[in-house]
Amino acid sequence: MTQVYPEFAEELERFGIDTTMDCFNCGTCAAICPLIYEHFPRKMIRYAQIGAKDRILENYEDLWRCLHCGLCIQTCPREADPGDLILGLRRFVVDNWRRS
Amino acid sequence: MYNPKNIIDVLADNIRKTRNPFGAGNSTMNKWWKKTPLRTEGDAMLYTGLMYQLMPYINKTTHQIERFEDTAIANYVGYQKYVPKLLVKSAFAFMPVRKDKKRYNNILKNIVKLLDKSHVDFFYKPKLDFYSGILLYDLGDNEGFIEHAKFVAGKLKEMGIKKLITVDPHTTYALKVLYPKYTGISFDVKTYFELINFEAQDEGRQITLHDPCFYGRYLELSDVPRKIFDRFGIENIDVRNSGKFTSCCGGPAESISPALTKEILTKRYAHLQETGKPLVAMCPVCLGNLIKIGADVEDLSEFLGHYA
Repeated sequence: MTQVYPEFAEELERFGIDTTMDCFNCGTCAAICPLIYEHFPRKMIRYAQIGAKDRILENYEDLWRCLHCGLCIQTCPREADPGDLILGLRRFVVDNWRRS
Repeated sequence: MYNPKNIIDVLADNIRKTRNPFGAGNSTMNKWWKKTPLRTEGDAMLYTGLMYQLMPYINKTTHQIERFEDTAIANYVGYQKYVPKLLVKSAFAFMPVRKDKKRYNNILKNIVKLLDKSHVDFFYKPKLDFYSGILLYDLGDNEGFIEHAKFVAGKLKEMGIKKLITVDPHTTYALKVLYPKYTGISFDVKTYFELINFEAQDEGRQITLHDPCFYGRYLELSDVPRKIFDRFGIENIDVRNSGKFTSCCGGPAESISPALTKEILTKRYAHLQETGKPLVAMCPVCLGNLIKIGADVEDLSEFLGHYA
């Protein structure tokens, strides 16, 4: 069972991300991403939107596959900056490591 | 893939102690300026951010990291913490080949030549030329990045530096975009190729420019070298994914997963080869990767240096 934290999007603002809820999950980011890897970054963004923190922490390695190349930021129709959101999630995970 | 936590810990610790990711003093790797006549006073400071100087060490380290990725040694829990540290140190244990160092040092000398030819009033102070800390930012260690950025920006401000001439996209992005945001200190930042101002003619020459992600998208500077090529009569034959829609060389994954870098690089190189023209790169990381895969490639400064 996955516990969800609806206020997670607000928590992410502390990590420089204020576009979490802008994404409407169209999948353009996953289509353009050079990784072509299991709906990345779309799936991670969905986890962030619903606040599935455990899923993010369990699958943290996926976050570091991101090249931060910016193609998803360039093409996102919602200007939700998916690549920056992934960077924000890395900061969240690093912060979690350092506090635990 | 290596555990990012261990890689971040090693890099953050090295940067905190020595101000560069390899844990050696800056003076150990920043030697290109010796025997190069450079002014110490002027309008703008040439700021290399040590990226080109670090490349021979990065090449050496990633070669070692690549050998152990996803092997029992890298994955053995007890060693996971120590393997990255040992491998980063090995860059110094097996010193980079002289030829590799010479090429990257010459790139910086070429940039000086291009600025001189363009009558740019600039100076260089090696003791103020620090690594930007961009790798910490990219890997998600914002705390470490901000601490380092404040140190670097503070030093530059203390010495009255206001204008910086940069040589690579990652340092340019850090100084131009991230430093004002995270340190509150701003500089007037320009890349060396924005300052190129001389004429040359080489009608009929054809090349293919590989845009790095940070110049192409984040800083939107792709048109600048293209205008220089036009002026010189050189034809740049673009691949489909260029400019704002350029494709990554895979470099950013190098410290965590050289295998992923290889996969992305192989695809990009296949696209670049479609034009059949010699390649020109504008970023030390892209250049290093394209050399590694066997491309006929020059750095922009090496290429333009032929005309200076």
